[in-house]
Amino acid sequence: MAAPGHGTSNNIGDKIIEHVANSDVMIHFELFGVDLSITKHVIMLWIAAGLLVTAALYATRKYRKEDRPVPSGFSNAFEFVVDFVRTGILIPTIGKNHVLKWGPLVMSFFFLILTMNFLGLVPFFNYINHGHGGTTATGNINVTASLALITFIAIIIAGILEHGFFKHWKNLVPGGLPKAVYIILIPIEILSMFVRPFALTMRLAANMTAGHIAMLAIFAPIFLLHNAYVGVASVALNVGITFLEIIVSIVQAYVFTLLSSVFIGQSIHADH
Amino acid sequence: MENLLRFDTGLMIWTWITFISVLVILGTKAWKPMIKALENRENFIRESLEEAEAARKEADKVAEEYEAMVAKARHEAQNIVAAGKETAEGMKAEILNEAQDKSAGILKQAEVQIVAEREKAIAEIRTQIVDISMAAAEKIIAKSLTPEDNERLIDDALKDYGKN
Repeated sequence: MAAPGHGTSNNIGDKIIEHVANSDVMIHFELFGVDLSITKHVIMLWIAAGLLVTAALYATRKYRKEDRPVPSGFSNAFEFVVDFVRTGILIPTIGKNHVLKWGPLVMSFFFLILTMNFLGLVPFFNYINHGHGGTTATGNINVTASLALITFIAIIIAGILEHGFFKHWKNLVPGGLPKAVYIILIPIEILSMFVRPFALTMRLAANMTAGHIAMLAIFAPIFLLHNAYVGVASVALNVGITFLEIIVSIVQAYVFTLLSSVFIGQSIHADH
Repeated sequence: MENLLRFDTGLMIWTWITFISVLVILGTKAWKPMIKALENRENFIRESLEEAEAARKEADKVAEEYEAMVAKARHEAQNIVAAGKETAEGMKAEILNEAQDKSAGILKQAEVQIVAEREKAIAEIRTQIVDISMAAAEKIIAKSLTPEDNERLIDDALKDYGKN
């Protein structure tokens, strides 16, 4: 990063994008001609996954041993969130009978996205070799697209498991309509099949990036104007935005999970 | 902006690897055990509530039966007391009647006995009077009394007896 304060308004914009983008290659690595370099966001993914797995395994240690454990402390808090996903997302959208089958996927979505969102709020990358402040892996469309693609595949698998291969594709359009309607309806339904994961991808990535861009833009006047009052105002404003970002992190994790669950549920209950 | 929307196969592959690892590890070790535990607890609570409800109904039923039993027992006890009273009254009247009859009988018997005794006594007295008269007569005869004397003597003797 160039010395702050020497930039013009033009390269401030570039600097902001550089902060939020996956710009730093930490370890270059290629396999079968595919660039699998370890970048900032890959590290973020791993840290999030590592934290989540550790916390979840620790919180559920009693649950692997007992049929009806009595949770306390951290387990209790963790169970509260798991039960929220179960009763707030899984049961209303996928249904009680399919919770055990699709629960793990939906829970993994929620917890991993939430962990990545939260980690994005912590500007700790300054302390890891190179890289700038904080960045959110879920603000990268490649990450969200991969997750949405998993939803896309899960929707198809759920439908096929429930109704069989051919019935699933037939279920995409409602039956008993005049033939002329199908000429319009079939392309629309096929389009919506792809639009859904695309919307998931863009919604999560855009929301997670937007907050960071806003925060960096509010910090920018400090470097442009070299004024202490502006600094105080910027910091105060950004403290507020950080709180807002906490809410956005939770809401976006919830929305991605809920919509994925709704789509999977629609695929399962297509005949109703 | 092109930096933000850059297509990055490597990152996508890493995302899949990471996500699927999380899914496999936590799916088997965390989510499923927790979902099962939550379902178990839910079922346990529901069953406990149902059992409590059934137990309450059973208790109500038993209490009702018990109350009915108590009421029945009370009714029976009242009947028994009433019947006992009636029997006692009957027996009392019977005993009284019997006693009255018996006392009347005894009285009558006593009267008859008294009459008989009196008659017996009178008969005895009469016999004794005759004996005494005979003795007196013998005495008078021995003294060779006149018939007047004899009669007088008898009368005197009778008078003496009458006094006695």
